[in-house]
Amino acid sequence: MTSDSNSSSSDSSSGRDDRNPDSGSEPDPNPESIDQSLDAIENQLASISMASRSPTATLDDDEEEEEDQSAEQLTIGNGSVEEEIGVAGAIDSIEDEHIVDNNNIRAELPGVIAESPSFEWKNISEGDEVERPLSPNSSGYAGERGSTSGGDDVNDDEEDTEIRVVENDGVSGSHEQWVSGKRYPDEDDASVSWRKRKKHFFILSHSGKPIYSRYGDEYKLAGFSATLQAIISFVENGGDRVKLVKAGKHQVIFLVKGPIYLVCISCTEEPYESLKGQLELLYGQMILILTKSVNRCFEKNPKFDMTSLLGGTEAVFSSLIHSFNWNPATFLHAYSCFPMAYATRQAAGAILQDVAGSGVLFSLLMCKHKVISLVGAQKASLHPDDLLILSNFIMSSESFRTSESFSPICLPRYNAMAFLYAYVHYFDIDTYLILLSTSPDAFFHLKDSRIRIETVLVNSNVLGEVQRSLVDGGLHIEDLLMDPGSRAGANSSHLGQPRPAADSSGRITDGFVGIGGPAGLWHFIYKSNYLDQYVSSEFSSPINSLRQQKRLYRAYQRLYASMHDNGTGPHKTQFRRDENYVLLCWVTQDFELYAAFDPLADKALAIKICNRVCQWVKDVENEIFLLGASPFSW
Amino acid sequence: MGCSSSVPDRSAGRIGGINPDNGGVVDAKNLKVKLVLLGDSGVGKSCIVLRFVRGQFDPTSKVTVGASFLSQTIALQDSSTVKFEIWDTAGQERYAALAPLYYRGAAVAVVVYDITSPESFSKAQYWVKELQKHGSPDIVMALVGNKADLHERREVPAQDGIDYAEKNGMFFIETSAKTADNINQLFEEIAKRLPRPSPS
Repeated sequence: MTSDSNSSSSDSSSGRDDRNPDSGSEPDPNPESIDQSLDAIENQLASISMASRSPTATLDDDEEEEEDQSAEQLTIGNGSVEEEIGVAGAIDSIEDEHIVDNNNIRAELPGVIAESPSFEWKNISEGDEVERPLSPNSSGYAGERGSTSGGDDVNDDEEDTEIRVVENDGVSGSHEQWVSGKRYPDEDDASVSWRKRKKHFFILSHSGKPIYSRYGDEYKLAGFSATLQAIISFVENGGDRVKLVKAGKHQVIFLVKGPIYLVCISCTEEPYESLKGQLELLYGQMILILTKSVNRCFEKNPKFDMTSLLGGTEAVFSSLIHSFNWNPATFLHAYSCFPMAYATRQAAGAILQDVAGSGVLFSLLMCKHKVISLVGAQKASLHPDDLLILSNFIMSSESFRTSESFSPICLPRYNAMAFLYAYVHYFDIDTYLILLSTSPDAFFHLKDSRIRIETVLVNSNVLGEVQRSLVDGGLHIEDLLMDPGSRAGANSSHLGQPRPAADSSGRITDGFVGIGGPAGLWHFIYKSNYLDQYVSSEFSSPINSLRQQKRLYRAYQRLYASMHDNGTGPHKTQFRRDENYVLLCWVTQDFELYAAFDPLADKALAIKICNRVCQWVKDVENEIFLLGASPFSW
Repeated sequence: MGCSSSVPDRSAGRIGGINPDNGGVVDAKNLKVKLVLLGDSGVGKSCIVLRFVRGQFDPTSKVTVGASFLSQTIALQDSSTVKFEIWDTAGQERYAALAPLYYRGAAVAVVVYDITSPESFSKAQYWVKELQKHGSPDIVMALVGNKADLHERREVPAQDGIDYAEKNGMFFIETSAKTADNINQLFEEIAKRLPRPSPS
């Protein structure tokens, strides 16, 4: 299994037919048949990678060359980034060089990678999709691994097919136009189209019964599920745990949660840690619907069929999986706040605070996936991941928009074993209120609380402000002022103010001016570690299309994973240049900044800009963050 | 019925529950009643309610989560009014264990099935039995065969519904939320059958 998945990739797609049909639905404890199952999945994976193999191959030499270029180190200059990081910066750059060297040492082990300290799925050294560092011993994969970035990324994921159909002009759109729900339900593992899908997610039970599949019909995928189960139990029988299988371009990531197994099969080249995080969220989403006590069903009956318990929730899962492409909260583990004037947010917070404590555990006022205000009862704290899956659940369930509702939900990070009861009411198409209680009888109390809240929100025009702010958006990089000293009367960088014309004074005049912000700044994300909140700048030219936005998020995601790599990190700064962007990342105890610049941006200037961004964020923090409004700690 | 970890124990005999005021009577001429809709998923419970409350029909199916709450007041010929506080419950299996939360204290239960689906008719019978066991003893029950516009795909004969309803002391009607056929009649008929408080 470990060594020949490559050679089996030449087996052609008929490999699937070799599968022992008996190993399908009834996994046999007999090791021989598990071996057969393993062979079968190997063949399946091989044929999947055959199906999507890119015809373009790059030479190793080229790639290593590009890697050298892209791994340009952050050098010590005289900007304040360096002032703050000081000596640590120098150490970082040494570490980074060491990592680049690792590149060649690192073996891309094909086959099963078990949980062992010696293995690290490193991505720090991966420049971008373009620069795939290939170790000499992985040359067997060169043909498959070496797909050129552009092509791969452009074709990336059929998951956005609908978007492209909806917006044929391809210019800036929004992910909300994406069609939710189960797609391609007629496919199964015999369908060519199914095999070509770039990112599969599966949930199955420990007896191999399918629970959820992103594509295709769960029942038709019973055989495939059983094969996945066989791999997991084969490794478990050896006293080990399977984390990752590589088969050509494909990674198969496994996550075991008691009797529930989650598997992602992906050729999107996302880092292992990112994909594992996505499986964790998928599991959390399932727990939100059912609570962890669903495990008891498996104690009573190991062959319990869970699919019916999740009836009608396809849209919830597909919307979550879709959000892995556009919502940075899925990898930052932080939530984002709706940008609005401080006084307005205070008014909203005050009334939420007022109802909290009277039997309301959490009150959340949300606009789409962003928090307007949020209050917890004393000592109750809400984890950002719980917030993510809760808002995803509510926004993807259309019935909440129709009328006020009362539904049991579970917050896995709060208490994975018990249901809370959620009162949900939409004030308008975007803005909604969630009141959570521990009592199943709380509906009328929560309804009364909502009426009180609504009266205040209407009287203080909070809802009107929200609509206005929706149009204005949050931080626009064009509004970033270069010289903090000249900010007298420069209120333009605050939210809720009329935005100035394109080239008002105070903009940078020295140096390169990109299409977007000053000095070629295209976009940034700032995460406050204390608040567990992040702010992301509004997209502007040239990051206009959804495809470009998704590509940028993938780049951030890789950057995040490389900065937080346990094996080599954590790191403090990273500067990387490739043909798509200059990416600059700066991690301190207080915050993390991820910024994307024009690939031709000047390094010293980019560093200067990042300092300005941090200053800007501090200047407007009470408009873009929810600050200590309530007595809970995260 | 799957997991029912923190579902209230129905034997606990908790009174009230989701029921603001147990009487439900505002005065002799103006009644306020709690009504619960039960039935398999996809039979059209939400469509019946939305047709009744808002006069709308949305052909795209929106799966109800937990339960939706709506209210509607109708005027009867004798100039009395009835305000229905409607709990439109989700039909999914995982919510079945929560149903007592919604039907407890209900004066009216509307059990819905889809005339093109014998399975949904069996499920309706399950709900009738459940209500007989655990519902209020004087609950008014209606059996509704929905999607009557799909008569060419009918699999549950109207007579089966009539017979079952009669055996269980229920009121029977076939409706179509799509064409609005019999929707208002359903609620008017329920209103007529409500026990009236004796004038004092």
